[in-house]
Amino acid sequence: MLTTPRSYPKSWVEWTAIVIAAIIVLTAVFGGLLAPHDPLVIDFRAKLLPPSGTHWMGTDGAGRDVLSRLLTGAQLTLLSTLSVIAVVLVIGCTIGIFSAFVGGWVDNLLMRLADIWLGFPPLILALGFAAAMGASLQAAIWALVFSWWPTYARLSRMITKDILSAKYIAAADTLGVPAWRKVVLYVLPNAFDVLIIQVTLDIAAVMLAISGLSFIGVGAQIPTPEWGAMIADGRDYVRNGWWIVIFPGLAIFFTALSFNIIGDMLRRELDPTSQRRA
Amino acid sequence: MTYILQRIAFSLLSLFVLVLISFLLSHIVPGDPAYVAAGPNAGAEKIAEIRAEMGLDKPVATQFFIYLGDVLRGDFGTSWFTHQPILQDIAQELPPSLELVLVAMVINLVVSLPVGLLTARFNGSRFDDLVRLVSIAGAGLPIFWTAILLQQKVAADWKLFPVAGRLSFEHRRFEGQTGFTLLDSLMQGRLDVFFDALAHLMLPAFALALLFTAVGVRITRTSMISEFKKDYVTLARAKGASEGRVMFRHVFPNGATPALTVFGMQFGWMLGTTVLVEEIFGRPGIGRYAVKAVTQSDIHGVVAVVFVVGLFFLVANLVVDLLLYAINPRKHLEG
Amino acid sequence: MMTAPAPEMTTETDPAMTPLLDLSDVTIALRQNDRKMVTGVSLSVMPREVFGIVGESGSGKTLFTRTVFGLHEDTYLAGGTVRFNGRALPLNGYRRAIKKMLGKEIGYIPQDPYSSLNPSMRVGRQLTEALYLSKGYPMRSQKAQDAAVALLAEVGIPEPELAFRQYPDQFSGGMRQRIVIAIALSQDPELMIADEPTTALDAFTQRRIMDLILERSRTRGLAVLLISHNLELLRQSVDRLGVLYGGQLLNVAATADIGAREIHPYTQALFDCVPGRDKRLADIASIPGEPVGAGFGTTGCAFAGRCAFAQDICRSAPLVTNTDRGTGFSACVLGKGARHG
Repeated sequence: MLTTPRSYPKSWVEWTAIVIAAIIVLTAVFGGLLAPHDPLVIDFRAKLLPPSGTHWMGTDGAGRDVLSRLLTGAQLTLLSTLSVIAVVLVIGCTIGIFSAFVGGWVDNLLMRLADIWLGFPPLILALGFAAAMGASLQAAIWALVFSWWPTYARLSRMITKDILSAKYIAAADTLGVPAWRKVVLYVLPNAFDVLIIQVTLDIAAVMLAISGLSFIGVGAQIPTPEWGAMIADGRDYVRNGWWIVIFPGLAIFFTALSFNIIGDMLRRELDPTSQRRA
Repeated sequence: MTYILQRIAFSLLSLFVLVLISFLLSHIVPGDPAYVAAGPNAGAEKIAEIRAEMGLDKPVATQFFIYLGDVLRGDFGTSWFTHQPILQDIAQELPPSLELVLVAMVINLVVSLPVGLLTARFNGSRFDDLVRLVSIAGAGLPIFWTAILLQQKVAADWKLFPVAGRLSFEHRRFEGQTGFTLLDSLMQGRLDVFFDALAHLMLPAFALALLFTAVGVRITRTSMISEFKKDYVTLARAKGASEGRVMFRHVFPNGATPALTVFGMQFGWMLGTTVLVEEIFGRPGIGRYAVKAVTQSDIHGVVAVVFVVGLFFLVANLVVDLLLYAINPRKHLEG
Repeated sequence: MMTAPAPEMTTETDPAMTPLLDLSDVTIALRQNDRKMVTGVSLSVMPREVFGIVGESGSGKTLFTRTVFGLHEDTYLAGGTVRFNGRALPLNGYRRAIKKMLGKEIGYIPQDPYSSLNPSMRVGRQLTEALYLSKGYPMRSQKAQDAAVALLAEVGIPEPELAFRQYPDQFSGGMRQRIVIAIALSQDPELMIADEPTTALDAFTQRRIMDLILERSRTRGLAVLLISHNLELLRQSVDRLGVLYGGQLLNVAATADIGAREIHPYTQALFDCVPGRDKRLADIASIPGEPVGAGFGTTGCAFAGRCAFAQDICRSAPLVTNTDRGTGFSACVLGKGARHG
């Protein structure tokens, strides 16, 4: 097939997504410093103020500045999302690579388990886990790790199996290269592309799940400026304070959207097995 | 035949894992399950009593088999906020949730299958690009947020649909045998109740379906694209078949099979996602029950919902696979 | 297997006859960037003739065939004329025009029998559908069923009534290709296109399928356009042979001429690569240099870079235009392989 090489971002949509994602990441890094007000200080005299010059996104039912909460919350939301993914990446890949190297019935059993696990609705599984641990943002993070590991186990196991069956590994075997060196030399570099695609796409999914759990009440607890919890908090005021609900929702939406578009773009450019357009 | 047996064996294995997960959640993860089960206001005596009652003084393996036996008998314990056996609670809450999921699934299929087929046919076109962008956007919407906005705008402001609840006030005394209002009202010939129930379902079902439809369109598209590339499509065109015939008679039946497997899985996922919708719309259901159990720290209620959702997930997948096998056993042999 | 005696065919067709399919100066381009992949192809397929098109992988033969017969989405006919039975098809809306003839005047056999039958449709239904589309037989009618079973018998499927009710994956590759042939025959085309019909099959089955195509088309009086990368297979099967290289048609040769008299240097080189009964291993040459893919363009001869006879003029002069009506031609500027009377 003739495919002309393309530069990465193909359209203004993708450029916009990259810019938005960059802004969000920067906000997450500097979030607290940028906040014009204290995100937690209650001031009932200033409650439910609509967006204005002093409070760009208005104030919530307890008089807290929505913009400040949003900016501070960016850090919290993104950080918890990234911690879920980092832990899941390590645990999942360890299980997957281990499974591929050991092979046999252990491999079979682990992958069957991952298959079954993967099938169960992740949100409800996490809900159960978080409820069992006692509601907190930390519980929500561990709950998502608990329900998300099979994706990475399956993926890394598949890649490892592929690589182990390649000819140059047979050559490495005859030279007596130990397993851990094979992982470092061959498996990890080869897995990078596939994993980065999955990670980008999962940022949105995990973030939506965390905010969902917080919304239900098993994640971040209400005064915490986590975006999902902010929406839960604003629900009671939605008739006379739409801004409390709208802005955190938009923040979640644009973050998820831009990371999904970037993930989609990476898949098109990096994944040889994806559907390429003629 | 071996396929069916294998498939059933896999379901049983999955069921076992499900019980294991539930056991983990109710007995291992909480620091002291007896303390949790007893509720926040229980005294030390009560906790000790519960510990003995739950068999927590026995070895973990024994506890697991006791738990397995309990679950198989449908004994999930007693909810300490409804003071009913949890099984009875669930039986009550399940029909409205299933109703919601079924309507959402219909919305999902009605949109995903044709749009997926058309975007595959016009792969790479403007239309395809637009649908791709819309579905990526749809996958980024927080369901609970969309639900609140729909409720406020479409129901409260525009008054197109009821704001909350399962039935209007005037139908509040409606009762049926099955608990499925849509079905019961039809059986009793109460069309007014049927349409009232349907109107109450539309917004929550739409909010629930949005995310799944975004995924469904893309899954269908991928599956159909790989079919369009196959030679039998070329042969069908060479036979002089119209593009419509090629799409609906040839590509669709083949491309729908792998897509339907995913829709089968989505059924369970949707049931698990009702937790984000039901409470907002004030609908009874296992989702709202789970949220209530969480806020009341009733771990057994939560675990029971996890178990039931998992169970429905397994059953839905099994049914879809067996159905596809029954429709076309050959396709399965091909892999 | 089939006992109907084949009517005697002469390899030389009458140049005064109207060609069944007549292409002149056909150019094919990619929709995406208008790049011209196949350039200036002129050739004629006479009624009842078996015409072969040979080319290496990437020479543009499948692109060419699929575009001319309206089965390719990503390409279009960018220039030239296509006549069928003397009637010219419009260049604007070409695909729509040619598609109307598919399944009626033109039948098509795709490459891979393992994927060219719909896996979820019974064999019988795929045949009755073809009958419905070409002749209007209602698909469930007894008439359509009888005709379908008769066709399955005609292509040598054992137990045709049983096969009628079976799914494609219950048949071997060779049997599936027979079913595909039955589908093409069911529509009584005047021209049958076979696009690498035996490539996916083993050598033994290849020969039998090729024989079936030739024998059936002779009995029914069809013309066949056979596309293959296998020169030897074509040489044993066709009356005349068109040679495609780099998207250019370099040569049309009567099969009898190959190995017997001077032909285009590229065709000769291809022929020299084929191990044959009367050739010793030392004689077998392979062509030096890398093959040129489709889309070479119109400036000079695509083969010039590898040709032993190449001169400067070969790289700049336009190729000789084909004006033959059922004989042969060489595009070589140096006149190599041109027919002289």
